[in-house]
Amino acid sequence: MAKRLTLLFFVVLFLIIGLVPIAAMFLKTIYVDGHFTLRLYRALFDSSREWGLVGNSVMLAFFVTAAALSAGIPLGVVLSKTDLPFKSIFTFLFTIPLLLPPYITAIAWSYWVKKEIWFFGLPGCVLILSISFLPIVMFLTMAYLKSVNPGIEEAGKLLSGWFGVLKNITIPAIMPGILLSAVLVFLLTLGEFSVPNFLRYKVFSNESFTQFSAFYDFNAATVSTMPLLLIAFVILLFEAIFLHRKTQESYGMTPDSDRFLVIELKSSKKWIVILLSLASFILIVLPFAALVREALNLGILREALEKAGDSLLRSISYAGIGASILTVIGFFLGYLIYKKALPGWRGVDMLTLFFLALPSAVTGIGLIGFWNRPATNFIYGTPAIIILGYVACYTVLTSRMTISGLSQISSSIEEAAEISGIKWWRRVFGVLVPLMKRGLLASWLIAYIFCLRDVGVTMAVYPPAHDTLPIRIFTLMANASGSLIAGLCLIMILSTLLPFSLFMLSVPKKGMA
Amino acid sequence: MNAAEFKSVGKSYHGKEVLIDFSLAVEKGERIVLLGPSGCGKTTVLRLLAGFIAPTSGVISITGEIVAKDGRNFKEPEDRGLGMVFQDLALWPHMTAKENIEFGLKAKKIPDKERQERIRNIFGLLQIEDKINTKPSLLSGGQKQRVALARSLVLLPKILLMDEPLSSLDFELSFKLRAEILNLQKNFGFALLYVTHDLEEAFSIATKIVLMKNGRIDQIGSCGKMKQYFENIKTR
Amino acid sequence: MPKKYLKIVVFLIIAGGFLSAGIIHARTNEVVVYVSEDQVFSEPILKDFEKETGIKVKALYDTEEAKSTGVMNRLLAEKNNPQADVYWANEPIRAEYLKQEGISQAYISASAKAIPDGLKDPDNYWTGFSARARVFIVNQRAPEKPHSVADYTDPRFKGKAMIANPLFGTTTTQMAALFTLWGDEKGKTFMENMKKNGVKLSTSNGESADFVASGNFDFSLVDSDDVFNRIKQGKDVEIIYPDQGENEPGCFMVPNAVLFIKGSPNSENGKKLIDYLLSRETERKLAFADCAQIPLNPGVETPPEIKAIRTLKVMKVDYAEVAKKMREIQSFLKEWAR
Repeated sequence: MAKRLTLLFFVVLFLIIGLVPIAAMFLKTIYVDGHFTLRLYRALFDSSREWGLVGNSVMLAFFVTAAALSAGIPLGVVLSKTDLPFKSIFTFLFTIPLLLPPYITAIAWSYWVKKEIWFFGLPGCVLILSISFLPIVMFLTMAYLKSVNPGIEEAGKLLSGWFGVLKNITIPAIMPGILLSAVLVFLLTLGEFSVPNFLRYKVFSNESFTQFSAFYDFNAATVSTMPLLLIAFVILLFEAIFLHRKTQESYGMTPDSDRFLVIELKSSKKWIVILLSLASFILIVLPFAALVREALNLGILREALEKAGDSLLRSISYAGIGASILTVIGFFLGYLIYKKALPGWRGVDMLTLFFLALPSAVTGIGLIGFWNRPATNFIYGTPAIIILGYVACYTVLTSRMTISGLSQISSSIEEAAEISGIKWWRRVFGVLVPLMKRGLLASWLIAYIFCLRDVGVTMAVYPPAHDTLPIRIFTLMANASGSLIAGLCLIMILSTLLPFSLFMLSVPKKGMA
Repeated sequence: MNAAEFKSVGKSYHGKEVLIDFSLAVEKGERIVLLGPSGCGKTTVLRLLAGFIAPTSGVISITGEIVAKDGRNFKEPEDRGLGMVFQDLALWPHMTAKENIEFGLKAKKIPDKERQERIRNIFGLLQIEDKINTKPSLLSGGQKQRVALARSLVLLPKILLMDEPLSSLDFELSFKLRAEILNLQKNFGFALLYVTHDLEEAFSIATKIVLMKNGRIDQIGSCGKMKQYFENIKTR
Repeated sequence: MPKKYLKIVVFLIIAGGFLSAGIIHARTNEVVVYVSEDQVFSEPILKDFEKETGIKVKALYDTEEAKSTGVMNRLLAEKNNPQADVYWANEPIRAEYLKQEGISQAYISASAKAIPDGLKDPDNYWTGFSARARVFIVNQRAPEKPHSVADYTDPRFKGKAMIANPLFGTTTTQMAALFTLWGDEKGKTFMENMKKNGVKLSTSNGESADFVASGNFDFSLVDSDDVFNRIKQGKDVEIIYPDQGENEPGCFMVPNAVLFIKGSPNSENGKKLIDYLLSRETERKLAFADCAQIPLNPGVETPPEIKAIRTLKVMKVDYAEVAKKMREIQSFLKEWAR
């Protein structure tokens, strides 16, 4: 009873925060001027140009996903499963783009690339977004690698070298994690607007933005998200039907084991260090060096800190609160989905992914429409509305990480507690949570990064005088000097790095050759 | 009144029947061994009785009370008063041996004095007093087994369910632990429902053997009767 | 205290905290202003108001990404439960739009008396102040320089000109003004010819200014503050006021506009802020700031590089007509911008 009630509570909470406002918005698109009509939808699908834009969006998402996977998987393997030196430094470098809104990475590159024609268009978008989302693939690969049973790798090593083991045993074993990262990258790219807009590559998410900004037509803007949502729905269906069983399979080590096989690179170590150094230098260091060079001046940094002002503290505290709430909600929804604890669990899972795909402008307007009433001013007029925005958009990250964590714990661990007469709440906090400590911390950190760098939904709903640092950067961007913007970006990177570094320091090193 | 009873219990997963028309009475103090090849439904029987899954059809009762019927569980596993030793033992790795055993006692709000006494007794009985503050990762296979046993027994279950608990141990240790299980069963008086695919193990433990095949009971009888049955098969 | 009660108490404290935040939000001496004028320029003015009056200013600024319409969307979405008291628009067309949507209400400020009639709403729903001119930013190394908006269609400048996306910001306003002046047919022809002459679209005036400053393009139509800003940064650019010749229409002026929001939660403070924004002192500050905006009140002190409004040939338009025209040509502009 306690289990059902608690899980139901969190489902209802998530529905109120996310689904109800958005559903209300979509209802308005079919109930216009007092009667039901599909006029807006018909208009959308009548135009061939719209389908061209949809094609552009899908193409961009496909290329970005392919690029992020191609680089992120080997990177994840090399940085977690080998004896490569300077692993922490490389991990840190390749993580930097994830800590900033992709728009800022585009700006950093534009300082460096300047007049290059190729940058403005599909190639530039693919470059920027794959660099921005590559860390998602990298981190998920690293996390899932930790859960591979070393016994199956050892069995493989008797028959083949490491390349064969990775290709035939390890990578297939972590396929659920890889596919999850692919889905996340695809959906994030599909909904991305700012980078294609900056690099003048026409994608469908522009359409939604145009309807909002130029025509103030909320209904048309909502309808314009349909094609993207249909694509997202197809991907979710594919995931639900074909991958569901795979995501439930566990190749878990029991958590008390310290064994983790490490690949000795031997003679190739030097070359891999050189390759990674070159890659990180060209892709990350050079563009961001332009930012750092602009900002590395005490006067500039002082001015940046002054301009950042209270927005920096707000960013950190809202991101911290958002991450904490997301971790809790994500934990219970992840538990519900993994254990199939209530009917409709699959719908909950799909909904969380759906909200990630929904353009943040639509989410924002939905939240305003629902919460902006005198009776709920204590939410709408306060930073609580920003937190609700975070929850609506990013619950999928923490719920999926919970599922990943739970899949590494044998089901008999909870069953043993069950049959020992231990009630559900005690099982959760006495057994599951302690065993998932590291995973929950990682979950919090991912949520923190996404909340901190969020622009879309924050911009749509933040109450006056509650702007966050990314919003402050955007508002100042029109007229502030390049150095000041660079200084603000640097502060943003550092404010994200602090908990990230603390987390990396707190995680014990794990491995044996 | 029986300790537990299965009446025409069936279980299906995704249209596939894994248990068909299973009827069995577990008397108090009885030691029943479920024997059969992998996939014949032995573990399913344990999990149905424990309450981890619900039967698709039929009725399950414990000490006369119906706990599951026709697709629904009426009593949660934590309220059935059973104990279980899992195949992988499922010791909680972040807790010491003592904490593993104490957790269930605390949940049942057993007073501290009685709790400590029970823990002392069970550790003594199983001869693992020196491992009381050790975490499972540092215990040997046999010691882990004993801690898993202790965790179940300290709660004084009506029925102890054991799912191939000795499968990963060497012969000598397995032999020793079998004797201890019998001893404990005599001491505590619980009914035992034991799953194995090892014939010799079955004969050394059981008062009744249930031979299962393809989700059904193939043969059921005392050790003597089953020995005769297997002899007949050999000579056929 | 038993643990279960402790959880309830903690929950009540947190819930109480949110509730109080909402209540306190309503009760403090404050004014809420939504601002489309760049934060760099508007924030100091608002901070001065705060200092001088003791009224706490809670501001919500537009961002470059939202292209000065993000705040508009917020005002429209909040129509049934307004959160803002005042809207500081960076051009009057959207002020007109909000009037037409019933978002604003009339207010006659004493500070508005001397502002020319053509630059404020006759029904007092908005008042103009501190204007920008729509001008050319021109790279000093450009071999030829434009002098008229019509030069966008001059083959001399084929592929050398840039313009911000006409779906957003002051560019939309200017296009609507040209359509009002010329008529729809001439306006559409002009834009088609501009396209045929290889004009490139940027995402904003600021971006246009940067591209011209870096030499990628020879010129672009931008706001005057965008040019002054780049000149101050030492970029190699100059400002040209278009269409100043005889028989030419003059350059299009874009005054800031301040509105009083209907249903304003802090109406008295809202009126005080409007009076402050329309004051000569505010216009003086905005003239001397990097935005270098042109005062509309006569006799306000300005720096030497700012041309007084009386020295400029200004395009004569009815902003209400321009607002109406803007809505009419939206679909055309959308098609054109694709």
